[in-house]
Amino acid sequence: MKSSFLMTLFFSLTVLLGGLFCLSSPSWADTSFAKQDGVKITTKKSPRSKVLTTLQLGDAVTVLSVEGRMAKVKTSKGKTGWVFKFRLTPKKPAARGGSGLFGLKGRKKIAARESRAGGSIRGLKESTEQYAKDKHIKQEHRDAVDRMEALLIPSNELIEFKQAGHLGEFSGGVQ
Amino acid sequence: MRKLFIHSVLVLFILFLPEISIGGFFDDLIKPRPSKKQESPSTEKESANESPDLIQGLGEAFGIKKKKVDLFRKGLGVVEALQPIGEEEEITLGEAVAVEAFSRFGGEYSNEGWTRYINLVGNTIAEVSDRPTLDYHFAILNSPEQNAFAAPGGYIFITVGLLKTLNNEAELAGVLAHEIAHITKQHMLETIRRGSVLGSVSELTLTALKKNPEMFANVIDEMTEVLFTKGLDKDKEFEADVAGIEYAYRAGYHPKGLQDYLQTLANGEGQTQSKFFTTHPSTTLRISKIKTLISTYSDIQDLPFLTRRFQQYVKTS
Repeated sequence: MKSSFLMTLFFSLTVLLGGLFCLSSPSWADTSFAKQDGVKITTKKSPRSKVLTTLQLGDAVTVLSVEGRMAKVKTSKGKTGWVFKFRLTPKKPAARGGSGLFGLKGRKKIAARESRAGGSIRGLKESTEQYAKDKHIKQEHRDAVDRMEALLIPSNELIEFKQAGHLGEFSGGVQ
Repeated sequence: MRKLFIHSVLVLFILFLPEISIGGFFDDLIKPRPSKKQESPSTEKESANESPDLIQGLGEAFGIKKKKVDLFRKGLGVVEALQPIGEEEEITLGEAVAVEAFSRFGGEYSNEGWTRYINLVGNTIAEVSDRPTLDYHFAILNSPEQNAFAAPGGYIFITVGLLKTLNNEAELAGVLAHEIAHITKQHMLETIRRGSVLGSVSELTLTALKKNPEMFANVIDEMTEVLFTKGLDKDKEFEADVAGIEYAYRAGYHPKGLQDYLQTLANGEGQTQSKFFTTHPSTTLRISKIKTLISTYSDIQDLPFLTRRFQQYVKTS
């Protein structure tokens, strides 16, 4: 009886500790990761100073110090520079479109509707199509979502837009 | 006593795991090993329970009765259900809500230039938000009432009625940034996870949504009810104001844009017909809180409102 209880205890602790061991810790003090592609590390604290290097999504840096909105960091290649804190995360970001617990994913790549005049070639997810069908939602509203998803802004257009408005990396200090 | 212990362990799991991320280990623990044989759908569930996995293996190694192992497995199932909804799942739910948004608010406002413009402004903000890798989509709804919505997964809507009321790009940025903040903070997902549809632990296995269109529809119904009728908690709206103002500021806009728009809205309160007033906290209270917040930003005097560009895009076309 007693040994059975002890075995249950060991079993519980084994699963618990095994799980905890595998948890990613957000509190690794000095290491942070780039939240996105193209995170610029500058030579000086001013974001207008020379760009030393650029990080890609998930690249790790060591945070040496923090001053206001900026962090002094050391890259994996040993370069030391400055970056906005909000560009970094202490938790390693998942790959884009990370895994989930259920598999409602996946677009119909070439939907039957692709041949429709003026329609897109993307198609909504099967779950959405089914839902819209069950709810008798008009085709035009489904198409509107399709167009919404299909509208992609090329990066050069966005850069020109930001430059013209002195926004983003062209804002002169804020960003 | 032993049962009490096992239950205590399960409770500890449930209490702590939602606060921390799980590195995929439990996914492997929870998942049954793939069966080599092709199972018919009716036997899938049974075979999943019967197939040996790591937990069962450990249980056998420790000489634990199957009943207790199953109890443990059940606890892990609850933990699985309490994990944050994955990004792909969030997008799937958001897409269905987006269809509802067009259906309920007059459909798409067809103006390619304006749509492109709000996508440029929206993406400028989104890339400095706290979820920069998500794909954000912005659309205009053909409704005269002033409103804006964010569906999970990056779908953001602004009514043409609201758009025409704005005076400059900073105001537009303020409104869009507020909506982006609802998505980065996952306010809607948090709300439905606490709501009645997903409130029952026994139904919390999200895998069920795929197999059960009725369940999927119930979740969307609850989301649309919150989004279009009841509104989110006031605290979430205030939180979105704070985060949105920060995003607009990061993007280089004058962070006063949202405050200025809300002032316009407050001035028209009583004359303006919009569900906005019933789905959001008091406009004057929001303005008051935003004013206090903006006073903490010290270097904003030279930041742009971009009035001329907004007028070029919206007012003249």
